[in-house]
Amino acid sequence: MRVITKLLSLLFISCLTLTIVSAQTTSFRARLSEVPVTPQTYKTITGVGEVFVTLNGSTASVTGTFEGMSSAASAVHIHNAPKAMNGPPIGALEATSLPAGSISGELELTAEQVEALRNEELYIVIHTENNPGGELRGWLFARD
Amino acid sequence: MNNLSIRSFTKFFLAPAIIAAFLSSCSDESTDGAVGTDTGPNTYTVAQADAGAEAFAANCATCHGNDLSGSPLGPMLAGADFMSRWGTQTAGALIANVKTNMPPGGNENLTDTDYQNIVAHILASNGMIKGATELTGSSNIIIAAYVTEQAPAPAQRRRSQFEAAGTSGLVIPGTVENFVPVTDAFLRDPDAADWPMIRRDYYAHSYSPLDQINTENVADLKLEWVWSMKSGSSEPAPLVYNGVIYLINPNNIIQALDAKSGELIWEHHSGPINQRNMRNIAIYNDKIIQATTDSRLVALDARTGEKVWETVVADASKGFSFSSGPIIADGKIIQGQGGCARYIPENCYLTAHDANTGARLWQFNPIAQVEDPGGDTWGGLDDIYRAGGETWITGSYDPDLNLTYWGTAQQKPWSTVSRHLTIEDVGLYTNSTVALDVETGEMKWHFQHVPAEALDIDEVFERVLVNRGDKKLVLSIGKHGILWKNDRVTGEFLGFKETVFQNVFTNIDPDTGLVTYRDDIINAQLDQWIPACPSSTGGKDWHSMTYHEPSGTIIAPLSQTCLENAAREVALEPGSGGMASSRRFFEMPGSDGNMGKLGAYNVDTLEEVWSFEQRASYHTGTVSTGGNLVFAGDLDRYFRAHDVTNGEVLWETRLGTSVQGHPIVFAVDGKQYIGVTAALGGSSPRTVPRVIAPEIKHPDNGNALYVFSLPN
Repeated sequence: MRVITKLLSLLFISCLTLTIVSAQTTSFRARLSEVPVTPQTYKTITGVGEVFVTLNGSTASVTGTFEGMSSAASAVHIHNAPKAMNGPPIGALEATSLPAGSISGELELTAEQVEALRNEELYIVIHTENNPGGELRGWLFARD
Repeated sequence: MNNLSIRSFTKFFLAPAIIAAFLSSCSDESTDGAVGTDTGPNTYTVAQADAGAEAFAANCATCHGNDLSGSPLGPMLAGADFMSRWGTQTAGALIANVKTNMPPGGNENLTDTDYQNIVAHILASNGMIKGATELTGSSNIIIAAYVTEQAPAPAQRRRSQFEAAGTSGLVIPGTVENFVPVTDAFLRDPDAADWPMIRRDYYAHSYSPLDQINTENVADLKLEWVWSMKSGSSEPAPLVYNGVIYLINPNNIIQALDAKSGELIWEHHSGPINQRNMRNIAIYNDKIIQATTDSRLVALDARTGEKVWETVVADASKGFSFSSGPIIADGKIIQGQGGCARYIPENCYLTAHDANTGARLWQFNPIAQVEDPGGDTWGGLDDIYRAGGETWITGSYDPDLNLTYWGTAQQKPWSTVSRHLTIEDVGLYTNSTVALDVETGEMKWHFQHVPAEALDIDEVFERVLVNRGDKKLVLSIGKHGILWKNDRVTGEFLGFKETVFQNVFTNIDPDTGLVTYRDDIINAQLDQWIPACPSSTGGKDWHSMTYHEPSGTIIAPLSQTCLENAAREVALEPGSGGMASSRRFFEMPGSDGNMGKLGAYNVDTLEEVWSFEQRASYHTGTVSTGGNLVFAGDLDRYFRAHDVTNGEVLWETRLGTSVQGHPIVFAVDGKQYIGVTAALGGSSPRTVPRVIAPEIKHPDNGNALYVFSLPN
């Protein structure tokens, strides 16, 4: 009887843990679009892209694609700021050094950064040769 | 401009300017502008204009065109329109205005010399005679005094084209047969077949009870006829009365069309020919009431198109302009005013006029003056430096309360620091709903939705009046995308709903509606880029929303973009003022690139019932019908019918260019029709999608009215 009770308890705890884990979003997506543009700049700040982030514990695995930029990608960063605000970079990713290509990388996030990701406060920026301040960017949102 | 108009222009603008310049040169030989000296006037040098042409090409031509002919992004800077706006001003004032406001995205590399050179180029292109010395920011020459009729190409060509194109007055005569005068009682309860004012009824519901076209058969809708309209900036709301469509075109041209066949009955040109936009006209008794883009009111005989009377409401040379027409309430023409951003002594009045004569009956100043109640909310600024508060969108009317409801625009310049004010200086009665007694113009109550607005996100749009049981409500959505609900008897705040993402406010008090700004907006300094959502395109803009009474639902055309705004410096001196911000735009995070959104909201709970999102922005108002349909058109040329209960697309077609204006629903001889305009032009609602979604392409001409019906 005691063994059965222990097994049932273990089963309950396992189910509870699974429930909690499944409630924690692990998959995120960002649409990449042009950084702020004006009638004077919109023809030289161009392109579109998409980035996916899978969170495993505190490890963020990043993949993505982009196309149509004005020049070759020179760097890709993840930044920390609420939606539509500007914030500091917290990590770098790899990208094809072309106007179109792919993004990849793996980042170890702090607990605060994981929380920021879940709060939609992390965003991706692709910097290019023509627009070193950034050409495409997009905030990460939970996929579900 | 026709011959008469040229004479008027010369009489009213050029002659005084020349006399002023002459008197100036007589009284003080050292004054700029001495005509006929050995060395030539102090206008500009050829080398300066040449340098200005290069700077113009690099910084201005994208919007205003290489030949200054304008584009959907910016107005024409040559010819009669430019001269009517700037002819009586000094060159120095023009330089200050350009420096304060242009380019919209800012360019920190532009120097004072660059701005002076650019203006020299503009003036040279408009035919100003060259001089011996360079144009400077302190120049006090009157522009018109030095502009000859021999302006160089291409500006003169453009000017000549417009002048040649115009024939003022009734250019195509005709008669509307069997016309029945429009009464107050009719406007209070229009026939189901008619659409006799901008949003069909006094309550601004944009709702037609007609149900012949409905969810079951709308898929069969077919084009009945199409009528090409004049080119130019256009956001029209046609009227329909007793089988006749009265259509406002660009260039202040009105046409009467047979609503069944599309045949022209008469056409009247009230001028000026400036390609500027006018949204709507009004009908009352036997007259069409027209507000012109140069701030006149004109009454035409609705039967024949002949002019009955005309009155000047405000001085267009001071920047005043109309972009929307009036509402007729209790026999009075009630007209809002636009173009009130400059520091000038003249006030920016909303006015009421006798419908039979045009005589001014009363006026309301949305800007509290020093001695007025609320006058202490402007940080102690002298009256001349209190700007903004335009009433540029037509109001609504409750005949039972005899109150008319208007939104007011924000303070000007756009940013707090540019105004030399703080976020505490709320600036009554800007960005408010004002309820005015139609008999006297007295303000019965006001509710300031967004005090001390700081990002060109105003709350001026239509006030929709709704009765729910014994509750009398007024609902509105401004550029913040917040659906506000107030009691329209008292103004009491009753609730709000955020229809799109906004990050301007950190809190909106659910009991009072009081907003709390983000700290960085409160503390914004000159030239500091401040991000905000929505953008100046608005969560919602001039495109009216509809109230579908059978379902108790507001369906609004919304927009999802954001901006970064940087305030520019504005001198506190007479003649200064303006908008004074640099702006740049980006997609709204979380929108997945969908700029366009139709949102349906229950007026009791304010909960979102459904939404429909798409890449292309919406450029028409929404209208709903007794057939449980809601219609809307977009930048990508689509015009669609949705199921009003769930947003499902039930019918769509694609027009010649972007669908823009205000759809209408009407009937003739028992048959129901749907009308909508394809149109071009406009400010932020056009500029922002153009730079964010340049892949959406449409012809740059094609203004037209399309009418659809079911097959017989």
